[in-house]
Amino acid sequence: MERDPIVLAERALGGHQGAGARLIRMLEEGDEGATEGLRAVLPSAGRAHLLGVTGPPGAGKSTLVDRMAAEYRRRGSRVGIIAVDPSSPFTGGAVLGDRVRMHDHAADPGVFIRSMATRGQLGGLARATFEATTVLDAMGYDVVLIETVGVGQDEVDVADLAHTTVVVSIPGMGDDVQAIKAGILEIADLFVVNKADLPGADRVAKHIGAALHMRAAPIDAWQPPILMTEAERAGGIVDVIDGIDAHRAHLRSSGGLDRKVIRRRERVFHDVLRERAAARALACAPRQGAEILSAMRSGELDPYTAVEALLGVEA
Amino acid sequence: MTDDSRKRPAPDGTEPADAEATWRRDVLGPALADRGERQDEFVTQQMHWPLKDLYTSRDLDEIGFDPGKDLGFPGEFPYTRGTNPAGYRQDLWTMLQVTGFGTATDSAERWSKMLDQGLNGFIIEYDLPTTNGYDSDHPLAEGEVARAGTAIDTLADMEQALDLPWDKLQHLSSVCNAPQPVNLAMILAALEKRDIDPASFTLQMSNAILIEYTCVGRYIYPPKHGLRIATDCIEYTIRNHANWIPISVVSAQLYAARATPVQELAFGFSIAMEYLDATLARGFEIDEVAPYWSFITGLEMDFFEAIAKLRAYRKIWARLMKERYGAKREESLRLRLMSSPGTTGLTLQQPLNNIARLGIQTLACALGGGAYAITTPLHDEAHALPSEEAVRVGIAVQNIVAHETGVADTIDPLAGSYLLETMTRRMEDEVFAEIEKVDAMGGALAAIEAGYFQKELARSQRARFSEIEDGTRKQIGVNHLVQADEKRSIETFKLGETAERQQLARLARVRADRDDAVVAKTLDRVREAASGDENLVPPILDAVKAYATQGEICDVMREVFGVYHPDSLTSGV
Amino acid sequence: MANRKIRVLLAKLGLDSHTVGITVIAGALRDAGMEVIYTGLRQTPDMVVQAAVQEDADVIGISSLSGAQMQHIPKLLDRLRSAEADDKLVVVGGVIPDEDAAELKAAGVDEVFTMGARTEDIATFIRTWWEAERR
Ligand SMILES: Nc1nc2c(ncn2[C@@H]2O[C@H](COP(=O)(O)OP(=O)(O)OP(=O)(O)O)[C@@H](O)[C@H]2O)c(=O)[nH]1
Ligand SMILES: [Mg+2]
Repeated sequence: MERDPIVLAERALGGHQGAGARLIRMLEEGDEGATEGLRAVLPSAGRAHLLGVTGPPGAGKSTLVDRMAAEYRRRGSRVGIIAVDPSSPFTGGAVLGDRVRMHDHAADPGVFIRSMATRGQLGGLARATFEATTVLDAMGYDVVLIETVGVGQDEVDVADLAHTTVVVSIPGMGDDVQAIKAGILEIADLFVVNKADLPGADRVAKHIGAALHMRAAPIDAWQPPILMTEAERAGGIVDVIDGIDAHRAHLRSSGGLDRKVIRRRERVFHDVLRERAAARALACAPRQGAEILSAMRSGELDPYTAVEALLGVEA
Repeated sequence: MTDDSRKRPAPDGTEPADAEATWRRDVLGPALADRGERQDEFVTQQMHWPLKDLYTSRDLDEIGFDPGKDLGFPGEFPYTRGTNPAGYRQDLWTMLQVTGFGTATDSAERWSKMLDQGLNGFIIEYDLPTTNGYDSDHPLAEGEVARAGTAIDTLADMEQALDLPWDKLQHLSSVCNAPQPVNLAMILAALEKRDIDPASFTLQMSNAILIEYTCVGRYIYPPKHGLRIATDCIEYTIRNHANWIPISVVSAQLYAARATPVQELAFGFSIAMEYLDATLARGFEIDEVAPYWSFITGLEMDFFEAIAKLRAYRKIWARLMKERYGAKREESLRLRLMSSPGTTGLTLQQPLNNIARLGIQTLACALGGGAYAITTPLHDEAHALPSEEAVRVGIAVQNIVAHETGVADTIDPLAGSYLLETMTRRMEDEVFAEIEKVDAMGGALAAIEAGYFQKELARSQRARFSEIEDGTRKQIGVNHLVQADEKRSIETFKLGETAERQQLARLARVRADRDDAVVAKTLDRVREAASGDENLVPPILDAVKAYATQGEICDVMREVFGVYHPDSLTSGV
Repeated sequence: MANRKIRVLLAKLGLDSHTVGITVIAGALRDAGMEVIYTGLRQTPDMVVQAAVQEDADVIGISSLSGAQMQHIPKLLDRLRSAEADDKLVVVGGVIPDEDAAELKAAGVDEVFTMGARTEDIATFIRTWWEAERR
């Protein structure tokens, strides 16, 4: 297949799924040339609503995303989905299984599903996800859903990239206080309590409500709704989509959308800066770089001095 | 008697404490002096339990073996020596053969032939569209219709399939898990049409949906709904056809998914208890329902592990029923177990070797005792679909073991074997420990929903495959005595290409001839029942009699229950 | 700074639900450092093609144990060609009689691994092809 990023970008914009997929692939691999392709699609991006869906493992995120996609399809939207799963820290491989739950869309060209492994990159995931959403956005998908497992930093990352962040909770996760993880209140635009068919769902909702009340928030700010779903039976999905639409309208009217867009740009800028600057610093003086690294490893230089030394090297 | 006495003789030649030590010093020691044993260690094939060089009465002392408690007498608690007081001296086991190909007419012919050849019962296997709840004209069914078993779309097919010499038939098994209530209703309606007394034979339903979620994959609805419809079938059958067997815990499928014996028993029993609890919740007493529970297992090539497994099956079930459920009736405590040589031990390579394997496993089945029925898979099953010749050989193997070896002529000839009793006890202990682990997770349904069984099985599968790849486990023809230029030209059953076409034509005819308004009305009743707690069998029976297709009936339940798509975690991948 | 991974799409076509083989392969390929995208059961050729295209899979692995391979796989190859996605490596594993294997290879399947094939050999086969392809 074609590997020229400009050609790929053109074809992707023309609706060719394979070209879009290949461009995403090259970007994910950190192929610097692919940035040209990204630049070429950027002007067409910016129309899609970007939705983050995060929550603990097994909360029903993929099921929920599947049902949300179905509802969006009913409403006439084209849907992009990026499902992120962890890579094995030992082998770098991964088994990506989120598509299984999205079985019903497997033959619908109006739904573009891309599975993505974290590949052990800190921050790099956010960049790859950003780039993938941008490509799908530019290809004309009206909503792009990003599913990430809410462990560690990923959920906060996704909030930086999405316009609307849906935080999924479920009953039966033990200690109620723990269930509302620190930091979650700040990023959630919508709370979904899934598996409402199981006992204890009401209690989870009540706890989230109580915690929201305790939170200091400006009067006119968005009040995240707490919605109950039974994703498996597609129960409550319409309300979720309506809630997302309401949030979107709120973002538009309050100027919040601009703030989100700026945050997204900043986030990517910093990620790319960190990634590229580090790569360049290490690459521009390979010999000295290697020496400094080995001196740092042996303890001759402390890590701080080593960084200063590396940055001090004239190319 | 000190432990030291069991070790190799002391080099200083001090006087050993007993006869075994003397033997080790004077006989074994010198024999191994030049060349040691042929392997560094010996372990059992599946559990990887270390095997000592010699088992003696001391091993039995060590586990506190008590013949009264551990063995009892044949037909007595805990049934280690078999559930039948007379062993095989009164009746041999029932000889069954898995079958079912082509359209219903093809199958009926073939089955009649097999009954004439000396079998007294058989298992009907359905094709994949049928077991997955699709009609033959569903897009996914293309190419699969009547391929791996019989195609049943409507009552018309079942009427045809049950055109059998009923005077010779004692036992019929039906393997159809996810759409079990539809299958049950089809059989009931067909018997009525053919005017056959349901009490004149035993129908054994597999109804083993929970196992499908752990490994086989022929499920339709999410697990909890699967459990509900299975329980509906159990309840209906017990209340209306008391001589039938409404449930088989087909632990053979766990075994086929490479479960170790301990996993097979622990997962199988946990699943059995999940059905039992659900059935008890319908207002039964334990002694009214426990006698119906039955198991189907398969054996591996490790001879003693296989026999220990069969004995542990009976003993653990008896203890669970007595100790956990307070069952009192003998029929509750006595396990119904159908065992068969396993397909996973068979090899694609050098398929004729499989006949030897079948013989050995059938022997283990017989020596394991008390299996009330033995099925033989077919020696070319690993290769493709079974051929006529293989069916004949399968039947012959069972008869050879029964009539030529003498193993069936005295009851439980292996009891008291030092090795076997030690192994049986260890199996019992480890199975109980694993059952408790599943209990702690909330039982089998919760364990399935969390993907626990699936993950554990996936681990066993990978271990098993890598053992064969790296040669730690020898398989003849696969990694040992390999025939480099092997040509595999064994006769396999080829399905007439017309089967699918004929089936589609028949389905179209039925659809055209029936009264669609009645069908729609009966389907609405099914929908209503599915949405509430009502037992699903009666409304489904009405729908079947109106010639609703099984796909239509299953679709109504799909609407209500949803369709299950487990992710990689809960499917073990 | 390339961060390249081999992406393998594993699927089961039709109603064949035996997952033991595909489970073992998925684990083995992951352990060989590949990204395995699992589609689950009951796939049609169209679904597999769409998934392979969207995921930019390098390799499509089909496991077939029910005997319906000749029904589904030629159709899959056909759809791959019409989607201009026939540059992907297509491997088939399972219970495949020799005559079927020969026919499948003639139709465009790159390799057939019958039951008993070593997972290591499968991983090596894929990696060798990919390295030549991606050179
Ligand atoms: N009881 C109940 N179970 C549900 C519901 N929604 C999803 N599930 C089940 O929850 C399990 C996990 O669902 P997934 O959609 O895979 O969850 P996930 O959050 O995407 O999981 P990971 O991607 O592994 O983190 C599955 O067994 C679903 O069937 C629901 O509404 N009720
Ligand atoms: Mg998921």
